[in-house]
Amino acid sequence: MIRNGEDLRDRYKDWILFKRVLVHLKPYSRLVGLAIFLLFAVSLLNLTGPYLTKIVIDDHIKVGDLNGLDVIAVIYLGVLILSFLFQFSQTYLMQYIGQKVMFDLRSKVFAHLHKMSFSYFDRNPIGKMITRVVGDVETLNEMLTSGLILIFSDLFTLFGIFFVMLYLDWKLTLVVCVVLPFLAYATRLYRIRARDALRKFRSHVSELNSYLEENLSGMDTVQCFNREKINLGEFLTINSERLKEDLRTVRYNAFYMPSIDFFSSLAIGMVIWYGGGRFVQDEIQLGILVAFIQYLQKFFEPVRDLAEKFNIIQTAMTSSERIFELLDTPEQIPESVPSRKDLTLKGNVQFKNVWFAYKEDQYVLKDLSFSLEEGESLAIVGATGSGKSTIVNALCRFYEINQGDILFDGQSIKNINKFDLRRQIALVQQDVFLFSGNIMENIRLGNVQMGQEEIESISQAVCSHNFINNLPFKYEQELNEGGGDISSGQRQLLSFARALAAKPRILVLDEATSSVDMETERQIQNGIKEITCGRTSIIIAHRLSTLMHVDKVLVLRQGEIVEFGKRKELLQKRGVFYKLCQTQLKSEKFVTGRDSNGS
Amino acid sequence: MKHLKTFFPYIQKYRREFFWGTFALIVTDAMTLVVPWLLKEFVDSLSGKPTDGQLLEYVFFLLLISLVLMVGRYGWRNFLFTLSRKIEFDILNDLFKHLLSLDRLWYQNQKTGDLMSRATNDLRSVREFFGLGLLILIDAVFVIVMAVSMMGFINIDLTLKVLIPLPFISVLFFFFVKEIGKRHKEVQEHLAKITDRVQENLSGIRVLHAFVQEEYEKERFQKLNLDYIKKNLRVTKVFGVFTPTMVFSMGIAGMISLWMGGKAVIAEEITLGSFVAFNGYLMLLSWPMMGIGYVFNLTQKGLVGMERINELFSAKADIQDGILGDIEIKAKEDVEFKNILFSYPGEKKNSLNEVSLKVSGGQTLGIVGVIGSGKTTLVQSLLRFYDPDSGSILIGNIKLPEISLKTLREYIGYVNQEPFLFSTSIRNNIVLGKGNVTDLEVEKIINAVGLEEDLKRFPDHLDTLIGEKGVTLSGGQKQRIALGRALLKNPKLLILDDSFSNLDSDMEKTLLENLKNSYHSTTKIIISHRLSTILHADKIIVMEDGTITEQGTHSQLLELGGVYSNLFRNQELAREMEILL
Repeated sequence: MIRNGEDLRDRYKDWILFKRVLVHLKPYSRLVGLAIFLLFAVSLLNLTGPYLTKIVIDDHIKVGDLNGLDVIAVIYLGVLILSFLFQFSQTYLMQYIGQKVMFDLRSKVFAHLHKMSFSYFDRNPIGKMITRVVGDVETLNEMLTSGLILIFSDLFTLFGIFFVMLYLDWKLTLVVCVVLPFLAYATRLYRIRARDALRKFRSHVSELNSYLEENLSGMDTVQCFNREKINLGEFLTINSERLKEDLRTVRYNAFYMPSIDFFSSLAIGMVIWYGGGRFVQDEIQLGILVAFIQYLQKFFEPVRDLAEKFNIIQTAMTSSERIFELLDTPEQIPESVPSRKDLTLKGNVQFKNVWFAYKEDQYVLKDLSFSLEEGESLAIVGATGSGKSTIVNALCRFYEINQGDILFDGQSIKNINKFDLRRQIALVQQDVFLFSGNIMENIRLGNVQMGQEEIESISQAVCSHNFINNLPFKYEQELNEGGGDISSGQRQLLSFARALAAKPRILVLDEATSSVDMETERQIQNGIKEITCGRTSIIIAHRLSTLMHVDKVLVLRQGEIVEFGKRKELLQKRGVFYKLCQTQLKSEKFVTGRDSNGS
Repeated sequence: MKHLKTFFPYIQKYRREFFWGTFALIVTDAMTLVVPWLLKEFVDSLSGKPTDGQLLEYVFFLLLISLVLMVGRYGWRNFLFTLSRKIEFDILNDLFKHLLSLDRLWYQNQKTGDLMSRATNDLRSVREFFGLGLLILIDAVFVIVMAVSMMGFINIDLTLKVLIPLPFISVLFFFFVKEIGKRHKEVQEHLAKITDRVQENLSGIRVLHAFVQEEYEKERFQKLNLDYIKKNLRVTKVFGVFTPTMVFSMGIAGMISLWMGGKAVIAEEITLGSFVAFNGYLMLLSWPMMGIGYVFNLTQKGLVGMERINELFSAKADIQDGILGDIEIKAKEDVEFKNILFSYPGEKKNSLNEVSLKVSGGQTLGIVGVIGSGKTTLVQSLLRFYDPDSGSILIGNIKLPEISLKTLREYIGYVNQEPFLFSTSIRNNIVLGKGNVTDLEVEKIINAVGLEEDLKRFPDHLDTLIGEKGVTLSGGQKQRIALGRALLKNPKLLILDDSFSNLDSDMEKTLLENLKNSYHSTTKIIISHRLSTILHADKIIVMEDGTITEQGTHSQLLELGGVYSNLFRNQELAREMEILL
């Protein structure tokens, strides 16, 4: 079986990714500055403990002075309270910033997805896109709030300790520093290996998950082909590889973490040997020695921490990589024409030598030219795959045409803002997509100012008012996933109401009646008459009976026009369209009610 | 706790790792406790002006201890973490094996997303319970008991004073974790809402764009997104207090130790070295104190995870495997349905209502009917996706439930309208049902299903990858691959469930011809909306509301002048129309 692991290639360098994540912090730079300051203060305050210990030992215990001790205790308490307040504000502030950034980023990804053209959605599975908007942004937030804080606070602590030690006794500090190169070397060895293992591990995890998911959704097929044993074997193989990499990371950690402790002990050993020797010679105070030991124990905590959190940061890097990859996907039909909200088309449509291909050089529309006057209706007739729906896609500018031009009221489609254009066109498709929410919301969509009365009159016009009124909650009836209890004909009527509510100048019905049986179609027929009235309309339908009232007809064969003209003229011409109608008439006579699935 | 039972065998299996890991952990902890004592000895010795040799002795002991520590730490990390990983590995394998054994009725009520979340997220919390949870529990209990004893040994009075704020930490942790958990759940639920919204937006993207709803949807999404932030910040409020409180409580203990301890040293109740060691032990306590609370958290999550995984393990297939072992069903056996009655669970209406039907071996049966008339349910009962509520199905003289599922599924080749293809190569999809297949056999199949021309256009021919659920293929190509993989099994009963719906009529004709010539002894059941597919069947039935309303040959049914004849004429005319275009 094929492996669906993650691509292990680096598309972006880690530091570039990091920089791009940081850019999103820019709007909050003041807050970030404050957070870093607080972080700095907290790190410093956390260092006071051992220093106070030094003072207690050297200035009080050694000289037997009880008086100052209470003051020290009070100072300590003050430090603790301050540290508490700072740390709380810092945590909240950082989380707040992280959430804000996540909000921005998620909105941005969501908005960017809406900018993508249909060809993007044709190519990418929905699950993958959901992961970008939901999961990946979440992971990235974790890096911002936990990862970034960690890096700062750990660095502050490391440097803070280093400088306090230098201040206390620079010679001893330098001696202790001898262990640092070894620590750095060990860290490097660990980092390279752990990174490799982690990446491979994650790749295996996603491979395992897609294998599992595929098997779960295709379980019927798996069982029908007696694949249980084989698939279990394959699953075992992938799972074993995953385990192998997982155990590798466990082993690297198991080596590296104790080694940090060993370096820590080594450093303390240095203090005992060198510091103890100098104490004997009265060159150093006892309190400093004790403080040094305590500082050293604190010094290695951030190092260990960074290693523990390495995984989080690595995962976040992968997520940010995927997010930026999506954000870097260019908009295929960029909008440069400024929007004119008041734009109202009269409804003249002209196709001028239009060429279009979904895939390079496989033209679906070939040199197509036809025109429609304001208020005229056009029927497009043709076999499956002749390019009928493609005309609609080009008209709504869901795809960019390759050559030629489409003119609306004499204006080129390229000079009209695509959103303005789509606002003038209402498209009714074969599959009616109903959103969760009630019927009213499904009719008016985003036009929230549209009132109940207006919607009712629209519904009455397309003959959907009756069935809606018979639902238990009428217009407030919630529709569950997939539309629930209403029939396909009723769904179609709802989509007509939705189209009419958009107050379009141009109406497009793309096989809008194919999924309903003839009985329902008869009911819908009146609705169609109503919504096409007074508007430029383009109707695509399998059944010619739907097309009996149109002004013009276009017969399409493999992307080319076979016949185009006024319906009546074409009938007189006795060409292809005439023959089609004849067959249809015969068929009408035969059909006595029942029809299977509209084929 | 009853859910723990299922998981005991897994620990049992790795009891050696468990033993050695725990042993290493305890050694490590014990050694950690020696270090402050060593420092005490060192500090106390300083007043006696130690020689270099004495100092080196301390260093030597310290390094010796840290070597043991290193080995110990390596040991527990390796053993205990490996243990939890292996348990996760085993559980996942067993889970997958179990999932493979469950039947259609069970899967119908499941969401793939939920199953996935159990197999990943819940399993992770179980793993963390067995790895981290056990580790912290042993670690914390041991260190707390030992460190407090050592402190008490140094000075019992001081210990009692210092320990006042400490139990507070664990209690605090417990309550915080509970509160955080509650608020966190709200966040999770809200995230699910966001997921649903994104999913809906993407599924309905064509409508949204056609109606220029982008801005409206963005606004709506922002609102949802903003609520999410608010819920998250509610968690932060608790969490933000939590960590500093922890640090604060430990700090107070440290302060008391410094303050009272300092006084005690001056009063010569304890030595300076003891004072240092005391502080050292106190520092050791901070982690286990938090750890205890953490264990509660891990346990809580782990138990929920176990419960949810157990639900999967306890799911049983309704369909019982047949008692007859590996038998060979002969070709050309009759297939007979006797008074089949079936309704889907939770539905009042019968999907199959007293269906009786006989398909003679080697013959072809055509089935026609509108959507929901029971065609697919009827053929799927042959595959034992469901068992009928009453009535019986016979293959030859054998009752269907007696045949083992393996035998049955070798016997039947089933192709449905929207076949599920795996995201692998075309070749792998075709050889799905068979282990060792020669290239020649595959080629023969490719020809039989008319794929050779299509393959020429693919970059890697048979080895072309077809993407998730076959996104790169056309509907007709998918259907032909599905037919190919069924034919490769050389089935004695072939069921085509509207599986030519995406083929043009020429291709359909070719395939039917091929089937007739190369698979003449195979019994065939063909469901189709296009009557041209079943025109030449030996018997045709028309189904309506779960019953057979008409049956006979094509010409008999035409003569009858019922549903079938209407359908036929209608389609004939539609075909003429197509020809004209």
